[in-house]
Amino acid sequence: MRRWYSGASMTEIDIVGVGVWSEYFSDWDEFCSVLAGGAIPQVAALKPELIAANERRRAPLFVKMAVEVMDQACRMGALEPSEVATVFASVYGDMQITDYMCRTLDAAPRTISPTRFHNSVHNASTGYWAIATQSQRPANAISAYLHSAPMALLEGAIQALEEDIPVLVCVQELASPATIKPIYDSEQSFSTALLLTPPAHCASPLASLRIGVSSEKSEFPEAPEIPGVDWSHNLGARFVPLLAALATARDTELQLPLSKSSSLAVSLKRNTGKANA
Amino acid sequence: MRLAIGSYTATSAAGVGLAAMHDSISSRSSALRPNDLQGCDLDTWIGRVEAVEAVTLPPHLTFLQSRDNQLAWLGLQQDGFLENLAQITERLGSDRVGVIMGTSTSSIGRTEEAYANLMPSGVISEEYRQPEVYSLHTPGTFVSAATGLEGPSMTISTACSSSAKVFASAARWINHGLVDAVLVGGIDSLCMSILYGFNSLELVSSSLCRPFDRRRDGISIGEGCGFAILLRENLMPEAEFALLGYGESSDAYHMSHPHPEGRGAVAAMDQALERAQVAADAIDYVNLHGTASQANDRIEAYALAQRFSEGTPVSSTKAWTGHALGAAGILEAIITLEAMRHSLIPGTLNCESQDPDSAFKVLTENIHKPVCHAMTNSFGFGGNNAALVFGRIND
Repeated sequence: MRRWYSGASMTEIDIVGVGVWSEYFSDWDEFCSVLAGGAIPQVAALKPELIAANERRRAPLFVKMAVEVMDQACRMGALEPSEVATVFASVYGDMQITDYMCRTLDAAPRTISPTRFHNSVHNASTGYWAIATQSQRPANAISAYLHSAPMALLEGAIQALEEDIPVLVCVQELASPATIKPIYDSEQSFSTALLLTPPAHCASPLASLRIGVSSEKSEFPEAPEIPGVDWSHNLGARFVPLLAALATARDTELQLPLSKSSSLAVSLKRNTGKANA
Repeated sequence: MRLAIGSYTATSAAGVGLAAMHDSISSRSSALRPNDLQGCDLDTWIGRVEAVEAVTLPPHLTFLQSRDNQLAWLGLQQDGFLENLAQITERLGSDRVGVIMGTSTSSIGRTEEAYANLMPSGVISEEYRQPEVYSLHTPGTFVSAATGLEGPSMTISTACSSSAKVFASAARWINHGLVDAVLVGGIDSLCMSILYGFNSLELVSSSLCRPFDRRRDGISIGEGCGFAILLRENLMPEAEFALLGYGESSDAYHMSHPHPEGRGAVAAMDQALERAQVAADAIDYVNLHGTASQANDRIEAYALAQRFSEGTPVSSTKAWTGHALGAAGILEAIITLEAMRHSLIPGTLNCESQDPDSAFKVLTENIHKPVCHAMTNSFGFGGNNAALVFGRIND
């Protein structure tokens, strides 16, 4: 087996915060509770406090999900939001805005809403985040098709280490609009954020990761089964096996596909010194 | 952090391939034209690449059919780029060469077509069921498939800074040891979303754009693509140019209006100069974002005045290419490299009467002068900024 990294020099990175939001749980505690067999809570409409009320009205769900989970992760990691760089990732981007744009262009192109147009950029979430937190740190928005989640983790880890800064990695996908169901069919929206720091940056990280790229083919690992929750079709839920390991304080080895012929090997070591956040 | 530039090519309204672009720039002629894009009735000028529609993708790539990818395929064929890439890949191994593309809209033009041809049931029809093309990663998927590169493949989409930021991520990948080389690039093609979208913000000009002119009244939208190979310096001792530094920042101000004092722009330029260890006074040329919108040009000039001495040659080349959005970063990086190669600094085209309120004077005529160090700026919606510094190797 050939490794892009030599076996001894896998990249080490800490996770110091995590955020989650979906129609089934609105934060990390609810996620842990559902995972442990608890009832699925009633999730209220999303109102991320970071975004000012007037901006919130203009912000699409896609942006609100991202800002919410990024804020959760920063709070857990006790880091100033203005100190972290961001890497946002999604396979298909804001499908609701794409749906709106394409319908309007077909029917009455001159009536396109300027606000929805500027919200249609893939970096809308990191733009709103920067405005809300007054962060001038670098903001990235990426995609790697079905491999967006592992690629975002790799990109965020490399940036954190090369620039010696904390990096927030946000991975999410919306429920699919009816029109494009033949391409992508998911009834749920799901968003996750991981706050990464270089080793020793924070005294008590949640977990330490060793990651490396291998030329082994792999399939996404299955997420834990929860009655009523369909992870398997949700491209935003690719971190769930990693989150489950974090939630249950298990050391874990995972292979996440990075392309058709390569994988991101992830070795997670839970920091037992820190209570289940 | 110096990284060698192995090979590069560009395709835009300013020319298909480098020789055509050099001719346009040295003769100071623009190929921007009154809007004649099929299905679009806006009174504006566009930078359209001739005959993109006629480009046929090879059979193994037809699953990625879109105007973007037709343009990318055309662009990849120029200047012996694929041959140069093959030589490098043969030496390094195809899994040691990554792909990072930049785009603003990916292939949304294809999705627009799909929505214009929905089935009676309201879902997209068979012909348009192309999940890879519906993704933001279409340019990366296409370039990886077209070149056979097996290294990690990623697409950056941060509006108009996208394909400047590809250099920053590529530099980190190489410095970290993830890969030895990265094919970086950018692509955006003309589509209705962009034309009508910018029109809704009242940002498009009804004439050929006039960067830094007192009568400037908006942008001319263009399409284009560019590609470059970035690699460890020791792997290509014969390389002429290197990426010396990059800077990335956020304005943290507004989604579609730059910070009034250009704080994000200044931060990106400062970082790029610091990484490059080059003083602002040692920069021989700055290729500007210079979109010809009222706000961008005023604020970019203000940002320049905070760091550069009067008389530093700076210019916008948007009246040659149009604003190619997610492809603008790499197109202008390549225009900057070409200025170094030919010792020819392009003066801002179609700036006839410079805005007297501008805080920094831009060059308006071409000048012949050696360029050892040069910078290029790219700023995007969401307040997303990038600046790059290039230099001569063996300087």
